[in-house]
Amino acid sequence: MPSADENKALTGFGRYAGPATLILSSLAGGTKHGYALTKDIESFAGVRISPGTLYEALARLESQGLIEAVESGDRRRPYRLTAAGAVALKAHLDAQRRVADVGLRRLAGNWGAA
Amino acid sequence: MRPGGTPGDPAARAARLLRWYPRAWRARYGDEFAELLIADIAERPRSAARALDVARGGTVARLAGVGLCGFGDRHVAASLATLGCSLAVFLGIGAAMWSQLTIGWQWSRSASTLATVATVTTSAAMLAFLALGALAALLVLAVVAARIARRQGKGLIGPSAVFVAASAILFIGGRHFGNGWPGTGGHRGLVPGGLAAFEWATSLSVSSYWAHPGALAAFPAAELAWMSVSPLTVACAVTAAAKLVRRAELPPRALAIETRLAAVACVVMAIFLAGSCCWIATGGGRPSLFHAGIIDVAGAGVLAATLAVAWQAARTAALRIMEY
Repeated sequence: MPSADENKALTGFGRYAGPATLILSSLAGGTKHGYALTKDIESFAGVRISPGTLYEALARLESQGLIEAVESGDRRRPYRLTAAGAVALKAHLDAQRRVADVGLRRLAGNWGAA
Repeated sequence: MRPGGTPGDPAARAARLLRWYPRAWRARYGDEFAELLIADIAERPRSAARALDVARGGTVARLAGVGLCGFGDRHVAASLATLGCSLAVFLGIGAAMWSQLTIGWQWSRSASTLATVATVTTSAAMLAFLALGALAALLVLAVVAARIARRQGKGLIGPSAVFVAASAILFIGGRHFGNGWPGTGGHRGLVPGGLAAFEWATSLSVSSYWAHPGALAAFPAAELAWMSVSPLTVACAVTAAAKLVRRAELPPRALAIETRLAAVACVVMAIFLAGSCCWIATGGGRPSLFHAGIIDVAGAGVLAATLAVAWQAARTAALRIMEY
């Protein structure tokens, strides 16, 4: 069971929790810059995060220490997940999975949907 | 914009979109964000959703820059500085209203119960502002003095000097023009006559005479000059104070105390606004010394707007303090 602080790291993001989860999930697969993040998220989640929303979430994640910028000679600066970011993402995804499990179980029991 | 960019090309369009964001944000994220925009424009040449998203993101970044929303510990100082600026505008307008009421009382009792309630309420609020302002300023000045003494005062000495000079000009000018005030009319007011006169003199520029140039031309030249100089002096003092708060790097404990004072200041602002609305709602009643005009209605609107900004800044500061 994750600690309250670990859970709070992403739930405290309010309406940015969605983009933040997608960004952290994408960075869990490796370092990426803004455009690569957009394309990766589009490929695994089917949603396209607009540039303004993406950078709003990136700035917030960086200020919270959940991601960090990687030094680069390129104008397209890459970002990577930090250890704190990995813990926060795991806690958040575990919580989401518990909700999903309950929902699917109840659907299967009452609506016959597996 | 990249060299050789034309107004229609993606780089030029990205540069235009980037203008929504404040300078500090552009310094940190500008290059990489422009690259993302250029790639996005190449894929979706026309997108109203993208333009709206960038405009919204830029507005949020600007509001975060002045501490009205956002995250991160630097935002507490920004929130407090913004609250201080809002409070200064509030006090500038509020002092003009209050001085009209208190000066009215120097000449005659008010026949209106609500005008009396307004005078007592706003006077109590002004006293509270004085106490809160003194506490808040002492704390900031103590931290600034300690930093300057430890030779860490880079960026603090200039604003400190401007603040002290502007405050001195306001005090001396207020005393000078307050002393030239017609007098008390022999009636004992609710607040000392000297204080009412000083307040009248410092808020002389908040006047409906600006809309009547003919009447304004009959004013003594020195008084006209003071009406122009005093708001500029107030602006200098407030800007310097805001710079000090942002640059002083107040320790967390000091920020927490300032945030509590800010919350109390918002409550006092609400009380002052309620008191002034009591007065305006009746039109001032008799005698005509207490008359509330259109400028006072507009003033109440400004008070409400500045209270809303101050409240949002205090709320943002309190949320950030809880994260420490």
